[in-house]
Amino acid sequence: MELSRKERWQQLQSVFEPGFRRMLLISLLLHLLVPILYYTPLFPKSEPLKPPVYRVNLVNKPVKHPRAGRPEAVPSKPKPKPKPKPKPKPKPAPVKPKPLPSKPQPVPKKPAPKPASKPKPKPKPKPAVSEAQENLLQRRLEQLRREQERKARIEELKAAALAESQKLESPIENAPLGMPEGKGDEAGPGAIAFVKEFIQQQWSLSRYQVSGNPQAEVLLVYSADGTLLHYRFLDKSGNTIFDDSLVRAITRSKQLPQPLPEDMELQIVFNLKEMLDRP
Amino acid sequence: MKFFRVTLLLLFCGLFFNSPAQAVKIEISSPGEQTIPLAITPLLPIEFSPNAEMVKEFQQVLEYDLDLSGLFDLVDPQAFLSDAAKLGLRSSDVDFAQWRVLGADSLIKGGYSLEGDKLTVELRLYDVITRRLLTGRRYIGRREDVRRIAHAFADQVLLSLTGKAGPFSSRIAFISNRTGHKELYLMEVDGHKPLRLTDHHSIVLNPDFAPDRKELIFTSYKKGNPDLYRKEIYTGRESRLSLKPGLNIGGRYSPDGREVALTLSKDKNSEIYLIGTDGTIHKRLTNHYGIDVDPSWSPDGNRIVFVSDRRGNPNLFIVDINSLEVSRLTYEGKYNATPAWSPDGKQIVFTRLEDNTFNLFTILPDGTGERQLTFGPGSKEHPRWSPDGRFLVYSLDRAGEKSIWMMRADGTGARRLSAPGGDDSHPAWSGRW
Repeated sequence: MELSRKERWQQLQSVFEPGFRRMLLISLLLHLLVPILYYTPLFPKSEPLKPPVYRVNLVNKPVKHPRAGRPEAVPSKPKPKPKPKPKPKPKPAPVKPKPLPSKPQPVPKKPAPKPASKPKPKPKPKPAVSEAQENLLQRRLEQLRREQERKARIEELKAAALAESQKLESPIENAPLGMPEGKGDEAGPGAIAFVKEFIQQQWSLSRYQVSGNPQAEVLLVYSADGTLLHYRFLDKSGNTIFDDSLVRAITRSKQLPQPLPEDMELQIVFNLKEMLDRP
Repeated sequence: MKFFRVTLLLLFCGLFFNSPAQAVKIEISSPGEQTIPLAITPLLPIEFSPNAEMVKEFQQVLEYDLDLSGLFDLVDPQAFLSDAAKLGLRSSDVDFAQWRVLGADSLIKGGYSLEGDKLTVELRLYDVITRRLLTGRRYIGRREDVRRIAHAFADQVLLSLTGKAGPFSSRIAFISNRTGHKELYLMEVDGHKPLRLTDHHSIVLNPDFAPDRKELIFTSYKKGNPDLYRKEIYTGRESRLSLKPGLNIGGRYSPDGREVALTLSKDKNSEIYLIGTDGTIHKRLTNHYGIDVDPSWSPDGNRIVFVSDRRGNPNLFIVDINSLEVSRLTYEGKYNATPAWSPDGKQIVFTRLEDNTFNLFTILPDGTGERQLTFGPGSKEHPRWSPDGRFLVYSLDRAGEKSIWMMRADGTGARRLSAPGGDDSHPAWSGRW
C-alpha cells in the first residue's frame, strides 16, 4: 500500500515541472501572507466611527448610576404578572352567583312582577302579606348588593394600587428607563446622556451654513440644580459661524429642565461627523 | 524621611490626576436642529401712508429667496405675538423673549416709508438667542425697486449667517423661442421680469456672462454662420467677437475676463481655442481628430474641462492650459456632456444620457466622488452654477416643453423659473449684478 502511494507520488512528481514543489510552497506562503498583511497597520481599517446611541427619557430625573436596558422587558419580577390578572375577574364573578339563588325574579327586574299581578285582581290577600315581605327582602337584597359592590370596588382599588406601586415611574408605555450601557441600579436616564441629549437639541445649524467638518471643544460646568455655572472654549473650530452656533446652543442650555445627581464638569467635543454621514 | 517623601509624591500625583478626571468627555456629532428657525415680520410703515400690496410683494420675494436657500424653517406668522406689530429697529426695542417662546433663532424686522415714488426700507436681522443685531441695511429706491431690495437683503442675510453672500441679486440669461425664433432673454433669479435682449430672427445659442461686466457672449446664426457675439446689456451694443468659418460655439469667459475659450472648426475639425476679447486667437488647446466641444474653466483659470469623443463615446476631459496635457475625467456612462466647473473649484456638474434621458451628475476634478443629482422623468441639460456655488440652473425637457429650473447644489429644492409660453433652454447665471 505504502509502496503504491510512493510510486503514485513519484509518478505525480514526474508529471510536474521541476521546481513545482517550491512554487507550491511559495504560493502557500504568499496566500498566508495576505491575511497576515491584512491585519497589519499597512491596511488601516476605516470603520465608520459611529457615536453611541443613547435613549434618554426627559420625563424622568437623570441619575448618576443608571441601570442597564429596559427594566419592563426584563422578566426578573414575575409577581406583577399574576397580580393584575385577578383584578378584572373578581368583579363579575362574585356579583352574579349570589343574587341568583336568593331571589332571581324581583332583583333584576322590578317592573316585571307588577304587570303580572295586575291582570289577577282576585287573590288580593296574598299580595298584601307578600308585599311587606317582598319590600323587606328587596331592602335586604339592596343592602347585600351594595355591600358586594363596595367589596368589589375595594378589591378593584386594592389591585389598582398594587399595580400602580409595581408599575414603573414612566408615564409613557414601554419607555426605556435604563441605559444601553448602564451598570448601576438607579431607574432613569444617565445624567451625562441626558445633558448631551439636551444640549444637542438646543444646537441648530444648517448643513448649508458651513463646509467641511469643523470641530470645537467646550468645557461646561453645571451645578447639581442644572444651572450652567460657566463655560469655556478649550478649542475653537476657526469657523465663526460654527462657533457662534455653539455659543447659541450653550446659551439655550443655561438651565437644564431637570436637576442633576451632582455638580458636573463636561468636556464636549462638537463636530458634524454624523450630519455629514447622511446624504 | 523616605516615607514622607513617597507620601507627598503620591498626594501630589493624586491631586494632579484627580482634577481632570472630574470632567467627563463627550462628543456631539450633529446638531439636533438642522434648519434655522426664522421669523420674518411684515414691513411696518415708518412714515407716510401704508402700502399693503408692496409689503406683501416684499414679503413674498424675501420668503421665496430664503426658503430656496434651504437654511431656514420659517416660523408661522399666525403664531406671532405682540412684538411683531412693533417696529423694533434697535435691539433694545425688541422683546426677544416673545420670539424665543415661538422657537425662533433669528428674526427679521423692518420698516418702510413711501413718499410719492421714493421708497426707503430699513431692515434688521437679529439673533434671538444672544439678542444681537446681526446685520442692518437701509435701502433707498423707487416703488418698483421693492423686489430688488428684497433680493439684496436676502443676500445680506445669507452673508451674515453663512459668511457667503447669496446670489439673489444676480440675473439668469436663457434662450427662448417664445417669439417664434430662438432669442436671448434675461430674467431675475426667481424668474420674474423676463426681458428679450436680441432680435436676430435666427438661432441664438449658448450665452455666457462676463465675470465682472454687464456683458454677454453667445452664438448666433444671424449672418448665416454660427458666429460668436458680444453684447453689452445696458447699452444694447452688439458686435461679432469671433467669425471664423465653421463653428464659433460654446464661448466661455475666463475667470479674469481677459480671454474666451470656445470651439472653432475653421480647420474642419472641432477644437478648443483661446481667443482674446478682441477676437484674435491666443492658443489652440486641443489637437485631436475627435470632436472637442463645451469648454468650462476651472476657477483658478489654469484648466478647462471639455467634452470629446476621442475615446469613442462623448466623455469629459481636462486640459491644462499651460502644458496642454489632456487627462480623461469620466469613464462611466456612454454619453457625458455639457460640463460646468463649480465656482469653488471642488466639483464639476455635467449631464449623462441613460435610458434616453439626460440627468445631472457631479464629479470631483480628480475623477472620484461621482454623484447623481437628478432623477425622474424629463431630460435635464445645460447645468450652470450660481456665482456662490449654492445652486444649479438647468433646462428641463418634459412633456414636450422645455423650461428653466433651479435647485440646490445637492439636488434638493428644485423649482421652475421660466414661465410657460415657449421652449426655454441654455441658462447662464451672471456674477454679482
